[in-house]
Amino acid sequence: MSPIHDQGYRHYLGEREPHGRAWWVIARSHIVTAMQHRGFRFILLVAWAPFVVRAVQIYVASTNLPVAEFIATTPETFRDFLAQQRLFVFLVTIGQAGLIADDRRTNALQLYLSKPLTRVEYILGKLVPPLAYVLAVTLVPALLLLLLQIVFAGSLAFLRANLFLLPAITLFSIIQALLSAFAILALSSLSKSRRFVSIMYAGVIFFTAAMYQALRGITNSRTWAVISPGEMLDVIANAIFRARAVSPVPVYVAILVVFVIIALSIVILERRIRAVEVVA
Amino acid sequence: MQTPALSERSESNGPMITTEHLSKWYGQVSGLNDVTVTVPPGITGLLGPNGAGKSTFMKLVTGQLKPSKGVVRILGEPIWGNPALFHRIGFCPEQDSFYERMTGLGWVTALVTLNGLEPDAATAAAKRGLEAVDLLDAADKKIGAYSKGMRQRVKMAQALAHDPDVLILDEPLSGMDPLMRRRTIRLIREWGRSGKSVLVSSHILHEIESMTSNILLINNGRILAEGNVHQIRELIDTHPHSVFIRAQNTKALARALLVEDGVISMKFEAGAVVVETARPDAFYARLTDMAASGEAGVIDEVTSPDDNLQAVFKYLVKQ
Repeated sequence: MSPIHDQGYRHYLGEREPHGRAWWVIARSHIVTAMQHRGFRFILLVAWAPFVVRAVQIYVASTNLPVAEFIATTPETFRDFLAQQRLFVFLVTIGQAGLIADDRRTNALQLYLSKPLTRVEYILGKLVPPLAYVLAVTLVPALLLLLLQIVFAGSLAFLRANLFLLPAITLFSIIQALLSAFAILALSSLSKSRRFVSIMYAGVIFFTAAMYQALRGITNSRTWAVISPGEMLDVIANAIFRARAVSPVPVYVAILVVFVIIALSIVILERRIRAVEVVA
Repeated sequence: MQTPALSERSESNGPMITTEHLSKWYGQVSGLNDVTVTVPPGITGLLGPNGAGKSTFMKLVTGQLKPSKGVVRILGEPIWGNPALFHRIGFCPEQDSFYERMTGLGWVTALVTLNGLEPDAATAAAKRGLEAVDLLDAADKKIGAYSKGMRQRVKMAQALAHDPDVLILDEPLSGMDPLMRRRTIRLIREWGRSGKSVLVSSHILHEIESMTSNILLINNGRILAEGNVHQIRELIDTHPHSVFIRAQNTKALARALLVEDGVISMKFEAGAVVVETARPDAFYARLTDMAASGEAGVIDEVTSPDDNLQAVFKYLVKQ
Protein backbone atom coordinates (compact mmCIF):
# COMPACT_ATOMS: atom_id res chain seq x y z
CA MET A 1 0.00 0.00 0.00
CA SER A 2 1.44 3.39 -0.91
CA PRO A 3 1.96 5.79 1.97
CA ILE A 4 -0.45 8.59 2.59
CA HIS A 5 1.32 11.94 2.50
CA ASP A 6 0.02 14.62 4.80
CA GLN A 7 -0.30 17.74 2.65
CA GLY A 8 -1.31 19.90 5.58
CA TYR A 9 0.88 22.47 7.23
CA ARG A 10 3.68 21.30 9.49
CA HIS A 11 4.73 23.49 12.36
CA TYR A 12 8.21 24.83 12.89
CA LEU A 13 9.62 23.25 16.02
CA GLY A 14 13.13 24.74 15.98
CA GLU A 15 14.60 27.66 17.88
CA ARG A 16 14.53 31.24 16.79
CA GLU A 17 17.31 33.78 17.00
CA PRO A 18 16.74 36.42 19.62
CA HIS A 19 15.13 39.64 18.48
CA GLY A 20 17.61 42.34 17.42
CA ARG A 21 19.70 40.63 14.76
CA ALA A 22 17.44 41.21 11.80
CA TRP A 23 19.58 44.19 10.73
CA TRP A 24 22.37 41.80 9.89
CA VAL A 25 20.05 39.71 7.73
CA ILE A 26 19.21 42.81 5.70
CA ALA A 27 22.83 43.99 5.56
CA ARG A 28 24.19 40.61 4.52
CA SER A 29 21.53 40.24 1.86
CA HIS A 30 22.41 43.60 0.28
CA ILE A 31 26.16 43.02 0.48
CA VAL A 32 25.75 39.70 -1.31
CA THR A 33 23.29 41.14 -3.85
CA ALA A 34 25.66 43.99 -4.74
CA MET A 35 28.51 41.55 -5.28
CA GLN A 36 26.37 39.56 -7.69
CA HIS A 37 26.38 42.52 -10.09
CA ARG A 38 29.25 42.30 -12.54
CA GLY A 39 29.44 46.07 -12.96
CA PHE A 40 29.73 46.63 -9.25
CA ARG A 41 32.44 43.99 -8.92
CA PHE A 42 34.31 45.71 -11.76
CA ILE A 43 34.13 49.08 -9.96
CA LEU A 44 35.46 47.50 -6.80
CA LEU A 45 38.30 45.91 -8.75
CA VAL A 46 39.22 49.15 -10.50
CA ALA A 47 38.99 50.97 -7.15
CA TRP A 48 42.00 48.97 -6.05
CA ALA A 49 44.13 50.02 -9.04
CA PRO A 50 45.45 53.13 -7.21
CA PHE A 51 46.44 50.84 -4.37
CA VAL A 52 48.63 48.81 -6.73
CA VAL A 53 50.25 51.99 -8.06
CA ARG A 54 50.89 53.27 -4.54
CA ALA A 55 52.21 49.89 -3.48
CA VAL A 56 54.75 50.02 -6.31
CA GLN A 57 55.61 53.59 -5.30
CA ILE A 58 56.21 52.53 -1.69
CA TYR A 59 58.28 49.60 -2.84
CA VAL A 60 60.46 51.75 -5.09
CA ALA A 61 60.80 54.35 -2.33
CA SER A 62 62.16 51.67 -0.04
CA THR A 63 64.93 50.69 -2.49
CA ASN A 64 68.24 52.36 -3.20
CA LEU A 65 67.19 53.42 -6.68
CA PRO A 66 68.02 57.05 -7.56
CA VAL A 67 64.34 57.86 -8.04
CA ALA A 68 63.52 56.78 -4.48
CA GLU A 69 64.19 60.14 -2.89
CA PHE A 70 61.64 61.83 -5.18
CA ILE A 71 58.84 59.49 -4.23
CA ALA A 72 59.59 59.01 -0.55
CA THR A 73 56.66 57.84 1.53
CA THR A 74 55.25 60.57 3.77
CA PRO A 75 51.98 61.02 5.69
CA GLU A 76 50.80 63.00 2.67
CA THR A 77 51.10 59.84 0.59
CA PHE A 78 48.22 58.36 2.57
CA ARG A 79 46.22 61.55 2.61
CA ASP A 80 46.61 61.86 -1.16
CA PHE A 81 45.71 58.23 -1.64
CA LEU A 82 42.44 58.72 0.24
CA ALA A 83 41.75 61.88 -1.77
CA GLN A 84 42.29 59.89 -4.98
CA GLN A 85 39.82 57.29 -3.82
CA ARG A 86 37.06 59.93 -3.70
CA LEU A 87 35.96 58.99 -7.22
CA PHE A 88 35.54 55.34 -6.24
CA VAL A 89 33.76 56.31 -3.03
CA PHE A 90 31.32 58.17 -5.26
CA LEU A 91 30.89 55.19 -7.59
CA VAL A 92 30.37 52.52 -4.92
CA THR A 93 27.99 54.84 -3.09
CA ILE A 94 25.96 55.38 -6.26
CA GLY A 95 25.85 51.60 -6.55
CA GLN A 96 23.78 51.54 -3.35
CA ALA A 97 21.16 53.99 -4.63
CA GLY A 98 18.41 51.37 -4.62
CA LEU A 99 18.78 50.35 -0.99
CA ILE A 100 15.51 51.87 0.16
CA ALA A 101 14.15 53.09 -3.20
CA ASP A 102 13.76 49.47 -4.36
CA ASP A 103 11.86 48.58 -1.20
CA ARG A 104 9.56 51.53 -1.75
CA ARG A 105 9.04 50.66 -5.42
CA THR A 106 8.15 47.05 -4.65
CA ASN A 107 6.15 47.83 -1.46
CA ALA A 108 8.57 45.55 0.39
CA LEU A 109 8.82 48.09 3.19
CA GLN A 110 5.42 47.12 4.59
CA LEU A 111 6.48 43.48 4.73
CA TYR A 112 9.78 44.34 6.40
CA LEU A 113 7.94 46.39 8.98
CA SER A 114 5.56 43.51 9.71
CA LYS A 115 8.56 41.36 10.65
CA PRO A 116 10.29 41.40 14.04
CA LEU A 117 12.58 44.32 13.36
CA THR A 118 12.46 47.94 14.34
CA ARG A 119 12.86 50.88 12.02
CA VAL A 120 16.29 51.49 13.58
CA GLU A 121 17.31 47.93 12.74
CA TYR A 122 16.01 48.35 9.21
CA ILE A 123 18.03 51.54 8.73
CA LEU A 124 21.09 49.97 10.34
CA GLY A 125 20.79 47.02 7.99
CA LYS A 126 20.63 49.38 5.03
CA LEU A 127 23.48 51.53 6.33
CA VAL A 128 25.97 48.70 6.62
CA PRO A 129 26.40 47.90 2.88
CA PRO A 130 27.45 51.41 1.77
CA LEU A 131 29.61 51.73 4.87
CA ALA A 132 31.26 48.40 4.16
CA TYR A 133 31.90 49.14 0.51
CA VAL A 134 33.21 52.66 1.09
CA LEU A 135 35.56 51.35 3.77
CA ALA A 136 36.59 48.57 1.39
CA VAL A 137 37.94 51.14 -1.06
CA THR A 138 39.38 53.56 1.51
CA LEU A 139 40.25 52.18 4.94
CA VAL A 140 41.27 48.70 3.89
CA PRO A 141 43.69 49.63 1.06
CA ALA A 142 45.10 52.57 3.05
CA LEU A 143 45.87 50.34 6.04
CA LEU A 144 47.36 47.74 3.71
CA LEU A 145 49.61 50.42 2.21
CA LEU A 146 50.81 51.28 5.70
CA LEU A 147 51.53 47.61 6.30
CA LEU A 148 53.37 47.34 2.98
CA GLN A 149 55.49 50.35 3.91
CA ILE A 150 56.59 48.55 7.06
CA VAL A 151 57.25 45.31 5.16
CA PHE A 152 59.20 46.95 2.31
CA ALA A 153 61.17 49.24 4.65
CA GLY A 154 61.89 46.33 6.96
CA SER A 155 61.45 48.52 10.02
CA LEU A 156 58.82 50.30 12.09
CA ALA A 157 60.69 53.59 11.94
CA PHE A 158 58.17 55.30 9.64
CA LEU A 159 55.22 54.17 11.73
CA ARG A 160 56.92 55.24 14.98
CA ALA A 161 57.63 58.66 13.51
CA ASN A 162 54.03 58.98 12.30
CA LEU A 163 52.02 57.14 14.91
CA PHE A 164 49.03 59.37 14.21
CA LEU A 165 48.63 57.80 10.76
CA LEU A 166 46.81 54.71 11.97
CA PRO A 167 44.01 56.60 13.76
CA ALA A 168 44.06 59.31 11.07
CA ILE A 169 43.40 56.85 8.26
CA THR A 170 40.74 55.11 10.31
CA LEU A 171 39.01 58.27 11.48
CA PHE A 172 38.93 59.99 8.10
CA SER A 173 37.75 56.84 6.32
CA ILE A 174 34.93 56.41 8.82
CA ILE A 175 33.84 60.05 8.55
CA GLN A 176 33.80 59.82 4.78
CA ALA A 177 31.95 56.49 4.86
CA LEU A 178 29.33 57.75 7.32
CA LEU A 179 28.72 60.90 5.29
CA SER A 180 28.35 58.98 2.03
CA ALA A 181 26.23 56.19 3.53
CA PHE A 182 23.78 58.45 5.33
CA ALA A 183 23.46 60.76 2.31
CA ILE A 184 22.71 57.97 -0.18
CA LEU A 185 20.33 56.30 2.26
CA ALA A 186 18.38 59.51 2.87
CA LEU A 187 18.15 60.21 -0.85
CA SER A 188 17.17 56.60 -1.49
CA SER A 189 14.26 56.96 0.91
CA LEU A 190 12.94 59.94 -1.06
CA SER A 191 12.26 58.12 -4.31
CA LYS A 192 11.08 54.83 -5.74
CA SER A 193 13.60 55.02 -8.58
CA ARG A 194 17.23 54.09 -7.98
CA ARG A 195 18.13 55.94 -11.17
CA PHE A 196 16.59 59.12 -9.85
CA VAL A 197 18.39 58.63 -6.53
CA SER A 198 21.70 58.27 -8.40
CA ILE A 199 21.01 61.47 -10.29
CA MET A 200 20.10 63.28 -7.06
CA TYR A 201 23.28 62.09 -5.36
CA ALA A 202 25.48 63.04 -8.31
CA GLY A 203 23.65 66.35 -8.45
CA VAL A 204 24.35 67.08 -4.80
CA ILE A 205 28.04 66.25 -5.18
CA PHE A 206 28.70 68.01 -8.48
CA PHE A 207 26.26 70.88 -8.13
CA THR A 208 27.62 71.92 -4.73
CA ALA A 209 31.19 71.69 -6.04
CA ALA A 210 30.29 73.73 -9.12
CA MET A 211 28.41 76.29 -7.02
CA TYR A 212 31.43 76.66 -4.77
CA GLN A 213 33.73 77.22 -7.72
CA ALA A 214 31.36 79.75 -9.24
CA LEU A 215 30.89 81.68 -6.01
CA ARG A 216 34.59 81.54 -5.34
CA GLY A 217 35.27 82.99 -8.78
CA ILE A 218 32.69 85.74 -8.32
CA THR A 219 33.55 86.76 -4.76
CA ASN A 220 37.19 85.68 -4.73
CA SER A 221 36.51 84.01 -1.38
CA ARG A 222 37.18 80.39 -0.48
CA THR A 223 34.83 80.50 2.49
CA TRP A 224 32.04 79.38 0.11
CA ALA A 225 33.60 75.96 0.47
CA VAL A 226 31.09 75.35 3.27
CA ILE A 227 28.43 74.59 0.64
CA SER A 228 30.48 71.72 -0.79
CA PRO A 229 30.65 68.47 1.23
CA GLY A 230 33.70 67.43 -0.79
CA GLU A 231 35.57 70.59 0.16
CA MET A 232 34.61 70.07 3.80
CA LEU A 233 36.04 66.57 3.69
CA ASP A 234 39.29 68.08 2.34
CA VAL A 235 39.39 70.50 5.27
CA ILE A 236 38.87 67.64 7.72
CA ALA A 237 41.45 65.46 5.94
CA ASN A 238 44.06 68.23 6.09
CA ALA A 239 43.46 68.63 9.81
CA ILE A 240 43.51 64.92 10.57
CA PHE A 241 46.65 64.26 8.47
CA ARG A 242 48.35 67.38 9.81
CA ALA A 243 48.68 68.79 6.31
CA ARG A 244 48.82 72.47 5.49
CA ALA A 245 45.39 74.05 5.57
CA VAL A 246 44.39 75.40 2.17
CA SER A 247 40.86 76.53 2.96
CA PRO A 248 40.09 79.42 5.31
CA VAL A 249 37.17 77.39 6.67
CA PRO A 250 38.04 76.22 10.21
CA VAL A 251 37.98 72.49 10.78
CA TYR A 252 35.25 72.75 13.40
CA VAL A 253 32.98 74.37 10.80
CA ALA A 254 33.76 71.53 8.38
CA ILE A 255 32.92 68.98 11.08
CA LEU A 256 29.71 70.88 11.83
CA VAL A 257 28.71 70.78 8.14
CA VAL A 258 29.29 67.01 8.01
CA PHE A 259 27.35 66.60 11.25
CA VAL A 260 24.44 68.66 9.92
CA ILE A 261 24.28 66.59 6.70
CA ILE A 262 24.23 63.35 8.70
CA ALA A 263 21.63 64.74 11.14
CA LEU A 264 19.46 65.90 8.25
CA SER A 265 19.74 62.46 6.68
CA ILE A 266 18.62 60.84 9.92
CA VAL A 267 15.61 63.16 10.13
CA ILE A 268 14.67 62.30 6.53
CA LEU A 269 15.03 58.58 7.23
CA GLU A 270 12.94 58.85 10.39
CA ARG A 271 10.15 60.48 8.44
CA ARG A 272 10.32 58.26 5.36
CA ILE A 273 10.79 54.79 6.84
CA ARG A 274 7.21 54.09 7.73
CA ALA A 275 4.54 51.70 6.60
CA VAL A 276 2.66 52.81 3.52
CA GLU A 277 -0.27 54.80 4.81
CA VAL A 278 -3.22 53.90 2.68
CA VAL A 279 -6.71 55.09 3.45
CA ALA A 280 -8.48 51.94 2.40
CA MET B 1 17.25 34.75 25.23
CA GLN B 2 15.78 32.49 22.58
CA THR B 3 12.21 32.93 21.52
CA PRO B 4 10.47 29.70 22.44
CA ALA B 5 9.52 27.27 19.73
CA LEU B 6 5.86 27.26 18.95
CA SER B 7 5.33 23.82 20.41
CA GLU B 8 6.44 25.17 23.77
CA ARG B 9 4.07 28.11 23.71
CA SER B 10 0.91 27.93 25.62
CA GLU B 11 -2.22 28.39 23.60
CA SER B 12 -3.93 31.62 24.49
CA ASN B 13 -7.62 31.43 25.25
CA GLY B 14 -7.94 35.19 25.48
CA PRO B 15 -8.96 37.42 22.60
CA MET B 16 -6.74 37.51 19.54
CA ILE B 17 -7.06 41.24 19.02
CA THR B 18 -8.47 43.95 21.21
CA THR B 19 -8.65 47.57 20.27
CA GLU B 20 -9.73 50.41 22.50
CA HIS B 21 -10.87 53.70 21.00
CA LEU B 22 -8.54 53.06 18.09
CA SER B 23 -8.27 55.93 15.64
CA LYS B 24 -5.91 56.73 12.80
CA TRP B 25 -5.78 60.03 10.99
CA TYR B 26 -3.77 60.88 7.91
CA GLY B 27 -3.57 64.61 8.32
CA GLN B 28 -7.15 65.80 7.88
CA VAL B 29 -8.36 62.41 6.64
CA SER B 30 -9.71 59.87 9.09
CA GLY B 31 -8.66 56.33 8.25
CA LEU B 32 -10.17 54.68 11.32
CA ASN B 33 -12.46 56.28 13.84
CA ASP B 34 -12.79 55.29 17.50
CA VAL B 35 -12.87 51.53 17.01
CA THR B 36 -13.31 49.44 20.14
CA VAL B 37 -13.54 45.79 19.27
CA THR B 38 -12.57 42.36 20.56
CA VAL B 39 -11.66 39.69 18.04
CA PRO B 40 -11.87 36.17 19.48
CA PRO B 41 -9.51 33.29 18.58
CA GLY B 42 -10.42 31.40 15.44
CA ILE B 43 -11.24 32.86 12.07
CA THR B 44 -12.75 36.31 11.85
CA GLY B 45 -13.71 38.01 8.64
CA LEU B 46 -13.22 41.72 8.19
CA LEU B 47 -15.81 42.75 5.66
CA GLY B 48 -16.03 46.13 4.08
CA PRO B 49 -16.09 47.84 0.71
CA ASN B 50 -13.01 49.37 -0.84
CA GLY B 51 -11.94 52.41 1.13
CA ALA B 52 -13.70 51.25 4.30
CA GLY B 53 -10.54 51.22 6.42
CA LYS B 54 -9.73 47.50 6.26
CA SER B 55 -6.09 47.95 5.27
CA THR B 56 -5.60 50.70 7.84
CA PHE B 57 -7.06 48.43 10.52
CA MET B 58 -4.77 45.60 9.43
CA LYS B 59 -1.68 47.79 9.39
CA LEU B 60 -2.55 48.97 12.88
CA VAL B 61 -3.03 45.45 14.22
CA THR B 62 0.23 44.30 12.62
CA GLY B 63 2.07 47.14 14.32
CA GLN B 64 3.08 48.87 11.11
CA LEU B 65 1.20 52.03 11.88
CA LYS B 66 1.15 53.95 15.11
CA PRO B 67 -2.38 54.68 16.26
CA SER B 68 -3.27 58.36 16.37
CA LYS B 69 -5.34 57.47 19.41
CA GLY B 70 -6.16 54.33 21.34
CA VAL B 71 -4.37 51.04 21.72
CA VAL B 72 -4.15 47.70 19.92
CA ARG B 73 -3.37 44.49 21.79
CA ILE B 74 -2.47 41.24 20.08
CA LEU B 75 -2.65 38.13 22.24
CA GLY B 76 -2.87 40.45 25.23
CA GLU B 77 0.24 42.52 24.46
CA PRO B 78 0.39 45.99 22.95
CA ILE B 79 1.62 45.65 19.38
CA TRP B 80 3.01 49.12 18.73
CA GLY B 81 6.72 49.27 19.44
CA ASN B 82 6.79 45.58 20.34
CA PRO B 83 8.51 43.90 17.36
CA ALA B 84 9.28 40.78 19.41
CA LEU B 85 5.55 40.07 19.18
CA PHE B 86 5.82 40.12 15.37
CA HIS B 87 7.27 36.60 15.55
CA ARG B 88 3.77 35.45 16.37
CA ILE B 89 2.10 37.27 13.51
CA GLY B 90 2.02 36.49 9.81
CA PHE B 91 0.89 39.27 7.53
CA CYS B 92 -0.20 38.89 3.93
CA PRO B 93 -0.62 42.35 2.38
CA GLU B 94 -3.10 43.15 -0.33
CA GLN B 95 -0.55 44.85 -2.53
CA ASP B 96 2.27 43.02 -4.27
CA SER B 97 5.49 43.44 -2.32
CA PHE B 98 8.03 41.57 -4.40
CA TYR B 99 11.48 41.75 -5.77
CA GLU B 100 10.47 40.24 -9.08
CA ARG B 101 13.99 39.13 -9.94
CA MET B 102 13.98 36.82 -6.92
CA THR B 103 12.64 33.30 -6.97
CA GLY B 104 9.63 32.48 -4.84
CA LEU B 105 11.77 30.32 -2.60
CA GLY B 106 14.49 32.97 -2.30
CA TRP B 107 11.97 35.67 -1.43
CA VAL B 108 10.13 33.64 1.19
CA THR B 109 13.42 32.42 2.67
CA ALA B 110 14.73 35.98 2.95
CA LEU B 111 11.61 37.10 4.78
CA VAL B 112 11.54 34.05 7.04
CA THR B 113 15.17 34.73 7.98
CA LEU B 114 14.00 38.07 9.36
CA ASN B 115 11.95 36.07 11.85
CA GLY B 116 15.13 34.77 13.40
CA LEU B 117 15.49 31.41 11.70
CA GLU B 118 18.94 30.20 10.70
CA PRO B 119 19.48 30.00 6.91
CA ASP B 120 18.97 26.22 6.66
CA ALA B 121 15.91 26.29 8.92
CA ALA B 122 14.59 29.31 7.00
CA THR B 123 14.91 27.48 3.69
CA ALA B 124 13.12 24.46 5.12
CA ALA B 125 10.37 26.67 6.60
CA ALA B 126 10.02 28.53 3.29
CA LYS B 127 9.60 25.23 1.45
CA ARG B 128 6.93 24.15 3.94
CA GLY B 129 5.12 27.45 3.46
CA LEU B 130 5.27 27.13 -0.33
CA GLU B 131 4.10 23.54 -0.11
CA ALA B 132 1.14 24.61 2.00
CA VAL B 133 -0.02 26.92 -0.77
CA ASP B 134 0.74 24.43 -3.56
CA LEU B 135 3.58 26.48 -4.96
CA LEU B 136 6.54 24.21 -4.31
CA ASP B 137 6.74 23.22 -7.97
CA ALA B 138 7.25 26.87 -8.96
CA ALA B 139 9.50 27.70 -6.01
CA ASP B 140 12.57 28.17 -8.18
CA LYS B 141 10.86 30.36 -10.77
CA LYS B 142 11.33 34.10 -10.63
CA ILE B 143 8.38 35.94 -9.12
CA GLY B 144 8.29 38.16 -12.20
CA ALA B 145 7.02 35.11 -14.13
CA TYR B 146 4.26 34.31 -11.61
CA SER B 147 0.59 34.75 -12.42
CA LYS B 148 -1.63 36.92 -10.23
CA GLY B 149 -2.87 33.87 -8.35
CA MET B 150 0.67 32.58 -7.79
CA ARG B 151 1.68 35.97 -6.44
CA GLN B 152 -1.16 35.81 -3.96
CA ARG B 153 -0.05 32.36 -2.90
CA VAL B 154 3.60 33.29 -2.46
CA LYS B 155 2.47 36.18 -0.25
CA MET B 156 0.45 33.69 1.77
CA ALA B 157 3.48 31.42 2.00
CA GLN B 158 5.69 34.13 3.51
CA ALA B 159 2.95 34.92 6.01
CA LEU B 160 2.66 31.39 7.34
CA ALA B 161 6.17 30.01 6.78
CA HIS B 162 7.47 31.06 10.19
CA ASP B 163 4.51 29.34 11.88
CA PRO B 164 2.81 32.35 13.47
CA ASP B 165 0.00 32.17 16.01
CA VAL B 166 -1.97 34.90 14.30
CA LEU B 167 -2.44 35.30 10.58
CA ILE B 168 -3.57 38.63 9.20
CA LEU B 169 -4.63 38.23 5.57
CA ASP B 170 -5.57 41.27 3.53
CA GLU B 171 -7.79 40.22 0.60
CA PRO B 172 -5.95 36.88 0.21
CA LEU B 173 -8.30 35.43 -2.41
CA SER B 174 -7.97 38.33 -4.79
CA GLY B 175 -6.90 37.13 -8.23
CA MET B 176 -7.00 33.42 -7.44
CA ASP B 177 -8.65 30.93 -9.75
CA PRO B 178 -11.67 29.01 -8.39
CA LEU B 179 -9.67 25.88 -7.55
CA MET B 180 -6.95 27.76 -5.73
CA ARG B 181 -9.58 29.87 -4.03
CA ARG B 182 -11.19 26.71 -2.67
CA ARG B 183 -7.78 25.34 -1.64
CA THR B 184 -6.91 28.58 0.14
CA ILE B 185 -10.25 28.74 1.90
CA ARG B 186 -9.68 25.17 3.06
CA LEU B 187 -6.19 26.08 4.27
CA ILE B 188 -7.52 29.05 6.22
CA ARG B 189 -10.24 26.93 7.78
CA GLU B 190 -7.64 24.28 8.62
CA TRP B 191 -5.64 26.95 10.42
CA GLY B 192 -8.70 27.98 12.35
CA ARG B 193 -9.43 24.40 13.37
CA SER B 194 -5.84 23.88 14.52
CA GLY B 195 -6.30 26.61 17.12
CA LYS B 196 -4.68 29.42 15.18
CA SER B 197 -6.27 32.79 14.86
CA VAL B 198 -6.90 34.31 11.47
CA LEU B 199 -8.17 37.75 10.59
CA VAL B 200 -9.08 37.82 6.92
CA SER B 201 -10.39 40.79 5.02
CA SER B 202 -12.55 40.89 1.94
CA HIS B 203 -15.13 43.05 0.28
CA ILE B 204 -17.09 39.99 -0.84
CA LEU B 205 -19.58 38.61 1.67
CA HIS B 206 -19.80 35.06 0.34
CA GLU B 207 -15.99 34.74 0.42
CA ILE B 208 -16.02 35.51 4.11
CA GLU B 209 -19.05 33.28 4.71
CA SER B 210 -17.18 30.35 3.19
CA MET B 211 -14.45 30.69 5.79
CA THR B 212 -16.17 31.77 8.96
CA SER B 213 -19.42 32.82 10.50
CA ASN B 214 -17.72 35.40 12.69
CA ILE B 215 -17.39 38.75 10.98
CA LEU B 216 -16.69 42.41 11.54
CA LEU B 217 -18.39 44.88 9.26
CA ILE B 218 -16.38 48.00 8.61
CA ASN B 219 -17.21 51.09 6.63
CA ASN B 220 -15.97 54.68 6.60
CA GLY B 221 -13.42 53.80 9.27
CA ARG B 222 -16.01 52.52 11.73
CA ILE B 223 -17.02 49.05 12.82
CA LEU B 224 -20.71 48.94 11.93
CA ALA B 225 -21.49 45.48 13.24
CA GLU B 226 -19.73 42.48 14.70
CA GLY B 227 -20.77 38.94 15.43
CA ASN B 228 -22.29 36.01 13.61
CA VAL B 229 -22.59 36.42 9.86
CA HIS B 230 -26.12 34.99 9.96
CA GLN B 231 -27.26 37.66 12.38
CA ILE B 232 -25.73 40.26 10.14
CA ARG B 233 -27.34 38.69 7.12
CA GLU B 234 -30.70 38.92 8.88
CA LEU B 235 -29.93 42.52 9.61
CA ILE B 236 -29.16 43.06 5.97
CA ASP B 237 -32.20 41.07 4.87
CA THR B 238 -34.57 43.29 6.85
CA HIS B 239 -33.83 45.94 4.28
CA PRO B 240 -35.23 45.99 0.74
CA HIS B 241 -33.06 44.24 -1.79
CA SER B 242 -32.92 45.59 -5.35
CA VAL B 243 -32.73 43.24 -8.31
CA PHE B 244 -32.13 44.45 -11.84
CA ILE B 245 -33.65 42.13 -14.48
CA ARG B 246 -33.07 42.58 -18.19
CA ALA B 247 -35.79 40.71 -20.05
CA GLN B 248 -37.37 40.58 -23.51
CA ASN B 249 -40.91 41.02 -22.19
CA THR B 250 -40.66 43.23 -19.15
CA LYS B 251 -44.44 43.75 -18.83
CA ALA B 252 -45.16 40.03 -18.67
CA LEU B 253 -42.35 39.57 -16.22
CA ALA B 254 -43.62 42.41 -14.04
CA ARG B 255 -47.13 40.93 -14.04
CA ALA B 256 -45.76 37.57 -12.93
CA LEU B 257 -43.62 39.07 -10.22
CA LEU B 258 -46.26 41.39 -8.80
CA VAL B 259 -48.14 38.48 -7.24
CA GLU B 260 -45.06 37.22 -5.44
CA ASP B 261 -44.71 37.68 -1.69
CA GLY B 262 -42.16 40.18 -0.55
CA VAL B 263 -42.12 42.35 -3.67
CA ILE B 264 -42.25 45.92 -2.40
CA SER B 265 -41.92 48.02 -5.52
CA MET B 266 -41.17 47.83 -9.19
CA LYS B 267 -39.63 50.28 -11.64
CA PHE B 268 -39.29 50.04 -15.40
CA GLU B 269 -36.10 50.97 -17.20
CA ALA B 270 -35.14 50.58 -20.86
CA GLY B 271 -35.57 46.86 -21.53
CA ALA B 272 -35.41 46.04 -17.86
CA VAL B 273 -37.30 46.05 -14.62
CA VAL B 274 -35.88 46.83 -11.19
CA VAL B 275 -37.63 45.02 -8.36
CA GLU B 276 -37.34 45.80 -4.67
CA THR B 277 -37.94 42.78 -2.48
CA ALA B 278 -37.93 42.09 1.25
CA ARG B 279 -37.32 38.35 0.69
CA PRO B 280 -34.36 38.07 -1.66
CA ASP B 281 -33.73 34.33 -1.21
CA ALA B 282 -37.30 33.39 -2.10
CA PHE B 283 -37.32 35.93 -4.89
CA TYR B 284 -34.18 34.54 -6.51
CA ALA B 285 -35.55 31.00 -6.26
CA ARG B 286 -38.78 32.05 -7.99
CA LEU B 287 -36.90 33.99 -10.65
CA THR B 288 -34.78 30.93 -11.42
CA ASP B 289 -37.95 28.87 -11.85
CA MET B 290 -39.40 31.51 -14.18
CA ALA B 291 -36.27 31.59 -16.28
CA ALA B 292 -36.27 27.80 -16.51
CA SER B 293 -39.97 27.53 -17.48
CA GLY B 294 -40.06 30.60 -19.71
CA GLU B 295 -43.47 31.54 -18.30
CA ALA B 296 -42.61 35.26 -18.31
CA GLY B 297 -40.49 35.30 -21.44
CA VAL B 298 -36.75 35.22 -21.85
CA ILE B 299 -34.70 36.68 -19.01
CA ASP B 300 -31.37 37.94 -20.34
CA GLU B 301 -29.62 39.27 -17.28
CA VAL B 302 -30.10 39.38 -13.54
CA THR B 303 -27.90 41.56 -11.44
CA SER B 304 -28.25 42.87 -7.96
CA PRO B 305 -26.77 46.18 -6.95
CA ASP B 306 -27.09 44.81 -3.43
CA ASP B 307 -24.40 42.25 -4.21
CA ASN B 308 -22.18 45.24 -4.21
CA LEU B 309 -21.30 45.50 -0.56
CA GLN B 310 -21.35 49.25 -0.71
CA ALA B 311 -25.13 49.09 -1.14
CA VAL B 312 -25.45 46.84 1.92
CA PHE B 313 -23.47 49.30 3.97
CA LYS B 314 -25.58 52.16 2.78
CA TYR B 315 -28.57 50.27 4.19
CA LEU B 316 -26.80 49.73 7.48
CA VAL B 317 -25.72 53.32 7.78
CA LYS B 318 -29.21 54.54 7.02
CA GLN B 319 -30.52 52.27 9.73
